[in-house]
Amino acid sequence: MAENIKRVRRLEPCSDNCPHLYLFDQNEVCLHQSKWHHKKQAEIPKEEDYKLMYSMLFSIRLFVSKISQLDMKNSFLAFHISKTKLHYYEMATGIKVAMNTDLGMGPIGDVLYHIYSALYEELVVKNTLCSLGQAVQSELFHSRLDSYVHSLPFFSACAG
Amino acid sequence: MADAVLFEFLHTEMVAELWAHDPDPGPGVSAEPRGEEPGAATGQNMNLSVLESVGFRVGQALGERLPREMLAFREELDVLKFLCKDLWLAIFQKQMDSLRTNHQGTYVLQDNSFPLLLPMAAGLQYLEEAPKFLAFTCGLLRGALCTLGIESVVTASVAALPGCKFQVVIQNS
Repeated sequence: MAENIKRVRRLEPCSDNCPHLYLFDQNEVCLHQSKWHHKKQAEIPKEEDYKLMYSMLFSIRLFVSKISQLDMKNSFLAFHISKTKLHYYEMATGIKVAMNTDLGMGPIGDVLYHIYSALYEELVVKNTLCSLGQAVQSELFHSRLDSYVHSLPFFSACAG
Repeated sequence: MADAVLFEFLHTEMVAELWAHDPDPGPGVSAEPRGEEPGAATGQNMNLSVLESVGFRVGQALGERLPREMLAFREELDVLKFLCKDLWLAIFQKQMDSLRTNHQGTYVLQDNSFPLLLPMAAGLQYLEEAPKFLAFTCGLLRGALCTLGIESVVTASVAALPGCKFQVVIQNS
């Protein structure tokens, strides 16, 4: 457990405000992950990184639903640590989108929803050649996602 | 008017069902060229022809239905224009991008962003898989032409997704 906590600390993004994006499905599979920076990668192997991220999101969601007074299903929206803020959005189907930004960002639920509906649905769900429930292979999805995130106003602040 | 997505999903399922594919290819893994197996090639052609004949039947019905307020077409070219405009608009909510002909019974209909290929890729990824998704539409064109009294052979080709060309060769009987 203590070892785990140490690991989580190392998950802090390398740069203050460069977006990372994670897409998980309902079965803990990481569908997609992008990092927009040129800094050194963390030394954690990818699978472990996904697992940590997923379990963190899962635990926070559980924790939030336990402590909230009202019965709110989607009450976990974001949390922040010293320098970054992590935004979270979960669809009814269990697809989870998580993205981090710098502290100043307000809620970006619409951005995360756009990534799900206009990109994931249009280019992955509609493409029968992409099997659901595993990492997305479609190059079109990757390039569209890339250009969409680059077009976001808060991305320009990124030192990448 | 049914949502366009319904047709898209139904079409992809038809392709998956009527195209006896490898049991479990991974995403992005193209079908192995199965020329080594005896009978594999004929099997592939047969599968394409099933899809094509389904499209043919649908095209026939649309050919009866769509040109309601029009008078009889005067010449071949008018019929092809009808396919590019009205038929395409009815199925894909857009018109064909270009129509070329050599005036000897061969027409090339080009769609630069064919809706059934649009979600897949922009470029060469999944190029080997693309022909399966065109067979139904080839039949559709052939069926509509057949209803309007023109025997033809329709083939499709893809150079880079999502664009494709349909070649219509009129059979002069």
